[in-house]
Order: sequence, then C-alpha cells, then structure tokens
Amino acid sequence: MAYTGLDFYGIEDLLTEEELMIRDMVRDWVEKEIIPNIEEACRNGVFPDKWREDLGNMGVLGAPLKGYGCPGLSYTAYGLICQELERGDSGVRSFASVQGSLAMYPIWDFGSEEQKNHYLPKMAKGELIGCFGLTEPDYGSNPGDMITRAKEEGDYYVLNGAKMWITNGTIADLAVVWAKLEGEIRGFIVENGDPGFSAPEMKGKHSLKASITSELVLQDCKIPKDRILPGVKGLRGPFSCLNNARFGISWGAVGSAQACFHSAKEYAMSRIQFDNPIASYQLVQNKLAWMLREITKAQLLAYHVGKKKDDGNWIPEQISLAKMNNVDIALEIARMARDIHGANGILDEYPIMRHMANLESVKTYEGTHDIHNLIIGRYITGIQAFTRTL
Amino acid sequence: MSIAVLLKQVPDTTSKISFSGSAVDLSAVTKWSISPYDEYALESALKLKSEGLGDIIAITCGPSRSSKILTDAAAVGADSLVHILVEDLIHDSRNIQKLLSSALNRLNCQIILCGKQAADTNSGSTGPGIASLMEITCVSMVSEIKIDGDDLIAMRNGPNGQEEIQASKPCLFTFDKGTEELRRPNVRGIMMAKKKSIETLTPSDLSVELLNSSVKFDSQISPPEKPPGQKFQGADSVASVVQKLREEANVI
Repeated sequence: MAYTGLDFYGIEDLLTEEELMIRDMVRDWVEKEIIPNIEEACRNGVFPDKWREDLGNMGVLGAPLKGYGCPGLSYTAYGLICQELERGDSGVRSFASVQGSLAMYPIWDFGSEEQKNHYLPKMAKGELIGCFGLTEPDYGSNPGDMITRAKEEGDYYVLNGAKMWITNGTIADLAVVWAKLEGEIRGFIVENGDPGFSAPEMKGKHSLKASITSELVLQDCKIPKDRILPGVKGLRGPFSCLNNARFGISWGAVGSAQACFHSAKEYAMSRIQFDNPIASYQLVQNKLAWMLREITKAQLLAYHVGKKKDDGNWIPEQISLAKMNNVDIALEIARMARDIHGANGILDEYPIMRHMANLESVKTYEGTHDIHNLIIGRYITGIQAFTRTL
Repeated sequence: MSIAVLLKQVPDTTSKISFSGSAVDLSAVTKWSISPYDEYALESALKLKSEGLGDIIAITCGPSRSSKILTDAAAVGADSLVHILVEDLIHDSRNIQKLLSSALNRLNCQIILCGKQAADTNSGSTGPGIASLMEITCVSMVSEIKIDGDDLIAMRNGPNGQEEIQASKPCLFTFDKGTEELRRPNVRGIMMAKKKSIETLTPSDLSVELLNSSVKFDSQISPPEKPPGQKFQGADSVASVVQKLREEANVI
C-alpha cells in the first residue's frame, strides 16, 4: 500500500493547494530517488550528486527566502519539504537545511547586495553548495567563546582556527564561517580554494552516513575584504540561522517518526505470532497508540510554529520547544518501532535502525536537547543556567 | 497551433478501493491522480511543445474535483486548461466523446493526445470515439511521437517488433506505456500553475445534448480472492507438479 502520512487531526486540510502540491512533489521524489538508494549511499558514505541536482531542479533549496532566484515559499511549505526529505533520511534533510537555512539565509539576511546576487541564485539551483562553520572542537553548546579569529591585513581578512561537525564541508563551494574580529563575532564567506582553507572529511560515523561531515581548517586563510557579511555582529548572526534550521528540523523529525510508525504498523499487521497478527495484541496496540499520540502532538507544534513564522509573530523559545520535543519523540518512536519489528528491526530492509541512528545526531545538533531545555528554563525563570562561576 | 491532451482523473493506482453497497465508494478514495496512460500522453505533448510544435491545452471532463489534475498538468507545463464540468458520472462513453469532441472542435486542435484507456474504467473507447466523431485519423496504442516535417510519426510496440506510423494532421493518438514517465514539477511550475485560470464549460456551453444512456450501471464487486498457494514436497510429487504447471498454470 502506498505511503500516506498519518494525519489524525486533519492537518492536511489546513494546507494550501500549493503547499500540498509541493509536499507531493518532494514525497514522490523521496519515494523514487531516496528510499531505493539510501542504504547504498549510507554504506558508501556518499551524498550522490544526483540528489543535489534534483533538489536544485525541484527548486526547494532556500525555500522560504524571497528574491535572488530563491523560491519564496511559506515557512509551512519549507517545513513540509523538510518533513518529506527526512521521511527518506535525516542526512538528506540535513543537506537541505544547511544549504538553505545555514548558508543561504545568512547571505540573504546579512550579506551585501553584491554577495546576494553573486551567490544566492546559484545556491538555489544547487549549482553551489554551502556549509556553515560555527561549532569548534572545544566550543559546541558554547559558541560565544569560539577561538577562531579574523584579522584585518591590508585588503584582506586573515582567518585562523578550526571548525568541526560541519555538514557538507568537504563538498561545499563556500563556507559561512563565524569568527571573532576584534573580539566581536562576524560572518565571513570562505570559498573552496581560498589559500589556507581546507575541509577534511570526518569518517567513521554510525549516524547520518549519507551526509558529509567535515572539519574546516583555517590556517592563515586569506580572503578579500568584500567577503565579510556586513549586516550582523555578535551571536545574533549564527543564532538567527539556527532558528530557521531548527524550525525545519521540528518538521523533519515528524517525517522520520512517520517513516518508523508506518513501517511498524505494516509490520505489526502482517507479522503472525501465536496464530494472530501481533497488531492484535494489547501491548503492541499500546505502542502504536502512543506513537500516533506523539506524532499528532508533534505535527500540531510544527504546524503552529510554521504559522507563527509566516505571521512574523514568534519567539526563539517556541522553536526550541518544537525542535526539542519533536526530535525527542521521533527517537523514542524509532526505538519503539524497533521493538515492534523484533529482530527484523535491525535489518536494513527496514528503515528503523537508520532513522534511529540518524536521530541521535539530530537530537544533538542545532542545539542539544538539554540546551533547548535550558533555553526554555531561562524563559520560565528569567535566570540563565548555561554557565556559572564555580 | 495547439496540442490538446485529454486527461482523466482516476483513483490513484496505489489508493485503497472500498465498497459502499454494490459500488466503489468514491468518497473513500484517498488519492486521485491523472490516469497513468494519460500521463504518457502529457509527457509526449510536453516534448512536442519543447520542439516548437505548439502550446498545450489540457482538457478534462469530470466532476469539480477533477480540476486538480489540470493544475497538476499546468505545473509541468500545460499552457491552458479546460474543464468540462459534469457532476454526475457518465457511464455511456458516447456522451463523454460528444462533450470532448465538441470542445476540441471549438478549440480547433490539430493534434490530440490521450491515454489508450483510463485506469478506472479501462474501456479504451474515448480516443477512437472522439476521432470518429471528429472524422480525423486515429493512431492508437503508441509509445512515442516524433515530428516529421508537417506530419507526425508515431511508434507502436507490437509483439513482433516496432511499427512506425506516419500520420498527417488533424490526428488523434492514444498512448500505451510511453518511453518516458511524466516529468516531476518544480516549485516554480507549481507557483505558476496556481495562478493559471481554468476555463469551465458545461454541456450547455458546448451546445451538447447528452444522449439517453445506453449503458445501465449494475454493480461493482471486488475481484475474487486468490486461492491459497499449493505446497508440494518430495520427489514423488514431480509428476503431479508438472501436470499442474502444464494444465492449470499453462506455463509449460
């Protein structure tokens, strides 16, 4: 039976015809291109070039950005794209999130007119790949204390430092790198081929295996002065990118959860033990009912935050809640789906273990689960609990 | 010049079919799509358009829900959209042929493409019936169309090889499985499609008086359940297995 996403509360009825057509376009692509090929891509640790081209041709990269050859879609449409991509694999959604929210967005919001015209149209088509360099080996949840520095030298900026856990790094044509210039965080566009820049791939991941993860090494990396992003100073720059990416993840996680739920339901209906389908047993029904309950709540969070984003009436804490909750329940659903699949759940014939392993990363990147709790804790109490003097 | 593509909205072939009384419950269909053979016709029309043959008019005849497939066709490149609105199901295909041929005459289309049969009724009468009413050439079951000067050459796959059929305009082609699947839309196409208007025509707009139906709908039933498979064990069973393969399965 063809895949139809779980839609217990009729969220589909709230979508526009355009949003539904975009969702179906991406769903169809995922069915035909990702699902049949994802296991091989994971085994080989590659993100096939065809996927980049297809995403560019479909015109979904940088979805909510307007102008400069970008699609200009609603945030809800962007969320639906993320949901469908992640139903295939979190690595594919990661590619699109990084390209759109972390590389295109800062250029679109903080870049000069020349930078926007130069990079965005080609990035929207997938002809140029971007990455985002914020996290460092010793500064993950605490990016404000980053070590990477930029120094003015004549007509150039010279960058020194190292970034880690950079999605798309090795295959990127450009990196939006955050570094301190005279003590203040600024964004810089570093291009592949700039002297002193390299992006070695990090190997040996058990998660997001079809996504490229890299280090960025900046060793006296010299870039022309017009590559600084003029429009932002301080952590607001990288954090506003992260807000958009986290919003996409809150939808993406629903896609992963749907894939696991769908597989668990189908399996439970057809797997016979003690003469009956295991779906007829109360313990299994309890698990399926819990999955439906959590997916429905997650959908409502994601949909509502999308509407708030479209209305421009949102606070970052609302995105934190949606990201944190939705990834959390998606991971639990993946684990529970593995239970329902019994031993079969560990095979790559089913998507379960792949989603589960992916979601371990998704729970950690773009603000760990715990950091999002601290963001919400600060919202409730007015007291920040990220740091203290011991 | 315009290329007309006739599209029918049918329950998606992957959609679950359920029954209400003695008929398929259409209100329970979860997904409606363009009939697959019509998709091949549309893809072929898009290729002819890219080779400069003309604009594409997508036409459907059906209830109001079927306008969705016209928007889908616009998203991949159909230029104008015509919906012949009939709310009740028409079982007598002569009436569908009358409506469509009347619209086609009005639009003055020289090249008409459609699927060889619809995925729901499978009757295969629409294309040839229209050609007959319009008194134009009909080439059925083609897989591909190429431009040859003022004419068109259609390819048809048969059991003993491929036929090439040259046809001059006006001409109607019905499509079997084509050489390429219908292309996927992109965001730009979808956004443009949303803005495209659909011309809605009723039978009276077309001055068509529907004939009294010569077909009476009786009932629809599910196909019978497949009998369970048979198991054979041991060398002793070879003779009976061979006999069954020969006489029941007709495979040797």
